[in-house]
Amino acid sequence: MAFTPDVVDGEITHDGRTIRTYDSAPHRRGEDTIVLLHGTSGSAQSTYWALFPMLADGRRVVAFDFVDTDGATADTYADQARAVIAALCDGPVHLAGCSFGAVIAANLAGTTPAIVKSLTLIAGWIKTDIHQHLRYDVWFRLHEEKSAAMPGFMVMTAFSHAFLTMRLPGEVDALVAKIGDGSDRYAKMLFNRTVDITDAVASITAPTLVIGCTQDQMVPIYHSKLLFGAIENARFAEVPSGHAVAHERPSHLLMLIRDFIDEPERDAPGTVHAPIHA
Amino acid sequence: MNIQTTTPKPQLDAEVLIVGTGFSGLGLAVILEREGTRDYLMLERGHDVGGTWRDNHYPGAGCDVFSHLYSYSFRPNPHWSRTYSKQPEILKYLQDTAEDEGIYPKVRFGTTVTRAEWIEAEDLWQVETTTGTYRARALVSATGHLSDLAMPDIEGLNSFTGKMMHSSQWDHDYDYTGKRVGIIGTGASSIQIAPEIAPDVSNLTVFQRTAPYIVPRRDAPYSEAQKGMFARFPEMLQDFRKELFWGNESRFPQRLQIPAFLAQIEEMSRGHLEDQVADPALREKLTPPYSVGCKRILISNDYYPAIQRENVTLETTGIARVDETGVVLTDGTHVALDMLILATGFEATELPIAEVIHGKTGRLSDQWQDGGQAYACTTVHGYPNFFMMLGPNTGLGAGSMIYMVETQIEYIRGALEYLAESGKVIEPDAKAQADYVKSIHDRAERTVWIAGGCQSWYLHPRSGKLTAIWPDYMSQFRKENGTFATEGYMVRDATVPA
Repeated sequence: MAFTPDVVDGEITHDGRTIRTYDSAPHRRGEDTIVLLHGTSGSAQSTYWALFPMLADGRRVVAFDFVDTDGATADTYADQARAVIAALCDGPVHLAGCSFGAVIAANLAGTTPAIVKSLTLIAGWIKTDIHQHLRYDVWFRLHEEKSAAMPGFMVMTAFSHAFLTMRLPGEVDALVAKIGDGSDRYAKMLFNRTVDITDAVASITAPTLVIGCTQDQMVPIYHSKLLFGAIENARFAEVPSGHAVAHERPSHLLMLIRDFIDEPERDAPGTVHAPIHA
Repeated sequence: MNIQTTTPKPQLDAEVLIVGTGFSGLGLAVILEREGTRDYLMLERGHDVGGTWRDNHYPGAGCDVFSHLYSYSFRPNPHWSRTYSKQPEILKYLQDTAEDEGIYPKVRFGTTVTRAEWIEAEDLWQVETTTGTYRARALVSATGHLSDLAMPDIEGLNSFTGKMMHSSQWDHDYDYTGKRVGIIGTGASSIQIAPEIAPDVSNLTVFQRTAPYIVPRRDAPYSEAQKGMFARFPEMLQDFRKELFWGNESRFPQRLQIPAFLAQIEEMSRGHLEDQVADPALREKLTPPYSVGCKRILISNDYYPAIQRENVTLETTGIARVDETGVVLTDGTHVALDMLILATGFEATELPIAEVIHGKTGRLSDQWQDGGQAYACTTVHGYPNFFMMLGPNTGLGAGSMIYMVETQIEYIRGALEYLAESGKVIEPDAKAQADYVKSIHDRAERTVWIAGGCQSWYLHPRSGKLTAIWPDYMSQFRKENGTFATEGYMVRDATVPA
């Protein structure tokens, strides 16, 4: 399904490979552009089916599908992002990434500061820790065994208790049925085990918004707090949600991101956003 | 010279008059009362607080918004009995609020406003009512969106000799048991009434003009453990409230007709219809002919089953007229009835209170010939020190009106504080108001209410403008209209110091 009827699908060639791109408003190329880097689940559509069109209501948004390569590193993934930005955008962009995409966004911002106007890191991390390794071990074991338990395991770890218990049983079944067997994320899971972008993160100067998820079982909010600790020019907001925050609370992310990129430096570095009350 | 003798201080009954004691007026009063610095009085045409929840007590009346969200954030209620409370419990909540917060002594009941006029020479509002005249520096209209009923325009309606009642004027003395009953309309009230009365009547005919979209009602009682948890951990209740809020907020993209969101809600309503209705012909009749979200999406698990009862008929042939004994359809068929229920809703686009409010430029309803307009959705050029709660562009397609009410409460609280502390008179600048209203109508263009191609009570009948609905996220409403500032206002000293 297209994000919206106006979105233009395209492709660019980078390092001999084709990268699929999505542009909400090619005719507004000269304007501020939000570039979205997707998560481990494989495509811009799967991470940003909600957030891309919501942000595109008023702003130009660009996203693309990362291409996996053997032995991919944070730098090779960041190169793809740089290539897309060079091809589709004039001037520095508002860069936002979720999960794996946040790792790549942070790496890019730390290594190529000139092309980043602002940086939003959602449920990201700096260096994979032993808690994550335990989960990866289970994941790879289920994958090798082609286990029927994989989809349920992924749903259980991705979504918060609050979100799942608000759904009807049939709706949770549908989530499990839809998430697949995980093979579409195998290459990025290999990469995720090895993440260490400590040096790049230390070099980030762009105004940054770090968003952590309070119920995140995959990348606990501790990691977002570490990012906030590591990036001098960062603000911090938390969202009560699981790791799949882009599915659980797209409107909450929308409000935080819109507000931030309207004026990235409005809140002083070190600001911790008060919770939004309903 | 003693200035007091030449320009006597006008006799004021209060600093602020609030018209209406429903969710909006009562909520404002609670905040003013707690603050303890504003001198206010409330005028109420009824004989108790509660507004729409006092008036709408038809069988099955309840709220379609989760109770933990459809209640004041500043008065959380851990004891809500179920996800969606029924009318008696909501009314009790409002009555308890008025009692506990000390509001009752401030209300003049049985007091209908007949004329409210800004007296420019004295910088005050003079409010004529059925019980006397009240004068105050500021006037707040809190008379609600859905408080004055709308009657259908059907030939011969008044010739009906059986029992006829509008849903919002239910006569509980009338016993419908064993009666032949008709109900006109298939909106939110009708689909609550029909399942409730169907088992008791001899037969029920539901006259449908346009089928509504209906999705499952995720309704369950709260366990004692849950209620105890909410009572002992108030933060758990607030977290739950936020979960509900953002869930609603994430439905707004449906109204922007974003494909993935439309697909979700269409699948949900189609699945619900297919689960509950097997007969293809009946399904066809119950399938809405317009884009989802264009009119209010209803939630019910018992309406479709009720329609399929042996004693219930869904009548989709149009109504030609009503006669002494029943309804005549456009094909000439006569449906004999003992009771006719008009579940035809409320005046939402032309607010009756506007008829009696007179500012510097005349009657508010005349200013609003082409639909209501207000700065910050709250104040009106030509109407100094006047504030309207739930006025133009404050309704919602997906969300809790209480969030909108609380946003306006904070705005008005701030404005009243400013008026009292500065002694100024404020009125929005004409251009600021026009620009603001234009920004709303520009936003409305991209929503289903304008782009979706259906007539609804959200659209102003003459101008076709979206005047009843806020065409953006609720959070955006609070961001724009949640905090009073003098920007956009003409501010001057009061000619007579208060």
